[in-house]
Amino acid sequence: MSGWWDWSYVAQFFPYFLAGVPITVLLAVAALVLGSVLGLALALMEMSGRRWLQAPARIYIEAFRGTPLMVQILFIAFAIPFALGYTPNRFVHGIAALALNSAAYISQIFRAGIESVDHGQVEAARSLGMTHAMTMRAVVLPQAARVVVPPLTNELITLLKDSSLVFAIGIPELTTRGRLMASRTFRPVEAYALLGVMYLVLTIPLSYLARRLERRLSRGVRRPA
Amino acid sequence: MIRVEGLHKHFGSLHVLRGINLRVAPQEVVVIIGPSGCGKSTLLRCLNLLERPTSGRIFIDGEEITAPGVDENRVRRKVGMVFQQFNLFPHLNALDNVALAVRLVQRRPRAEAEAWARSLLEKVGLGAKAGEYPSRLSGGQQQRVAIARALAMRPQVMLFDEPTSALDPEMIKEVLDVMKDLAREGMTMVVVTHEMGFAREVADRVLFMDQGTIIEEAPPQEFFINPRHERSRAFLSKILS
Repeated sequence: MSGWWDWSYVAQFFPYFLAGVPITVLLAVAALVLGSVLGLALALMEMSGRRWLQAPARIYIEAFRGTPLMVQILFIAFAIPFALGYTPNRFVHGIAALALNSAAYISQIFRAGIESVDHGQVEAARSLGMTHAMTMRAVVLPQAARVVVPPLTNELITLLKDSSLVFAIGIPELTTRGRLMASRTFRPVEAYALLGVMYLVLTIPLSYLARRLERRLSRGVRRPA
Repeated sequence: MIRVEGLHKHFGSLHVLRGINLRVAPQEVVVIIGPSGCGKSTLLRCLNLLERPTSGRIFIDGEEITAPGVDENRVRRKVGMVFQQFNLFPHLNALDNVALAVRLVQRRPRAEAEAWARSLLEKVGLGAKAGEYPSRLSGGQQQRVAIARALAMRPQVMLFDEPTSALDPEMIKEVLDVMKDLAREGMTMVVVTHEMGFAREVADRVLFMDQGTIIEEAPPQEFFINPRHERSRAFLSKILS
C-alpha cells in the first residue's frame, strides 16, 4: 500500500486529535470571554468623548489590528517573559494573546452594537435623571446585547480557527497534534485533512447558529416609527 | 417656576436661539408654536439641559440650573420630558419602563417602585397594560406610558416636545386628554405642539416663535383671534386653513 491516502492512519490519528478538541475549545472560549470584557471596556473608552480615554483605546485597537496575530503570540509568550525574567505558563500566555487580540475586534462589535441603539433611548433615560453609567447599564447595553450576539458568534469561529496559531508556542491543541502526527508518521495528507475536517465540525454548527440569530434579529421587535 | 434670561444656543455656525426671555408661573400651561426649525424644541431641550445653552441663564424653582457645577441629573429629576417619538425602553414592559428610574435614581425598593408605577399607569388609563412590551402597544398607549414614566419622578415641571406629532389621528385625543387632566391638576407644563385645539382649550399662554426668538406671546383667545404680529398671522392662516 503505497498510495497517498490510507484510512487506517485517519483512524489512528482520530483519538489523538480528539483529545486536542477540548484544548482548542477552551482556548477560544476563554479568549472570547476575556476579550469581551476588555473589548467592552475599550468600546466604552472609545465612545466616552474624553480624549485621555479615547487615545489609549484607539492606539490599542490600531496596534492589535495592524500587526499579525502570530507576531503578537510570539511577543506575548516569549518577549514579555524574557524581558521580565519569568518562566511563562504557555497555556496562560496563549489565552492572553488570543484574548488581547480579539478584544480589539470585539470592541468594534460592541461599538457598532451600542451605536445601533437609538439616541432617543439615551435622551429618555437621561431626562429621567439617570446617570451616564445607569443609562448604559440599564438601557443601552441590554438593547445592544441583542445586536452583538451574531457577530460575537462569528468572532468565536474566528478564535477557534486562529487558536491554531498557538502551535508556535507548543500548546497541545488540535494543530500542534496535527503537525506532530504528520511529521512523526510521514502522513501529511491524512493528518492535515483530518485536522481541517475537525475544525469544520466545530465551526459549521456555529456559523449556522450565527446565521439563524442574524435572521431572527432582522425581523426582530422594531418599534413602529 | 421657570425663568429664562437671554438664552442663546449655537450649533456650530447655526444660531438657533437668539435671546430668549421667558417666565412660566407655577401651575401655568404654556404652549409654544411656530414653524419647524424655529428653535422651539431646542428651547424645550435647554430647559432640562439635554442641550447646553451657549449663553444665558435658566432658573427652575429658583435655582440657576445653568450655573457651573450644577448636577444636571438632579435638575432633570425636577423636570419631566415627553418626546415626540415616545422613546419607551423596548426591552422593558410598561411597568418596568415607569419603575426603572424610580428604582435606580430614587433608589426605591422594587415593590414600592412598582406599586407607584402601577398607580401612574392606572392614572393614564393603562392599568391593564402593565405587563405589555412597547411593541405590543399602540402609539397613543406608548405615549401615555411615556407620560407616566416622566411623572414617576414627581417632577415639578413637565415638558412636552410635540407629543402627538407621531400619532395617528385617532390616537391623538387619548394623549391630549391625559395632558388636560394633568393641567387641571395644576402641573406646570410647557408644550410644543401643533394641536391648536389643545392650545386654545388648555393653555394659559401661547408663545409664537420664529427664527430663534419669541415673536409674540398672548393668552390663547387673544392670540388666535387677533394675532398682533404679521408672522404669527401668516403662520396661523397656513395651519388653520
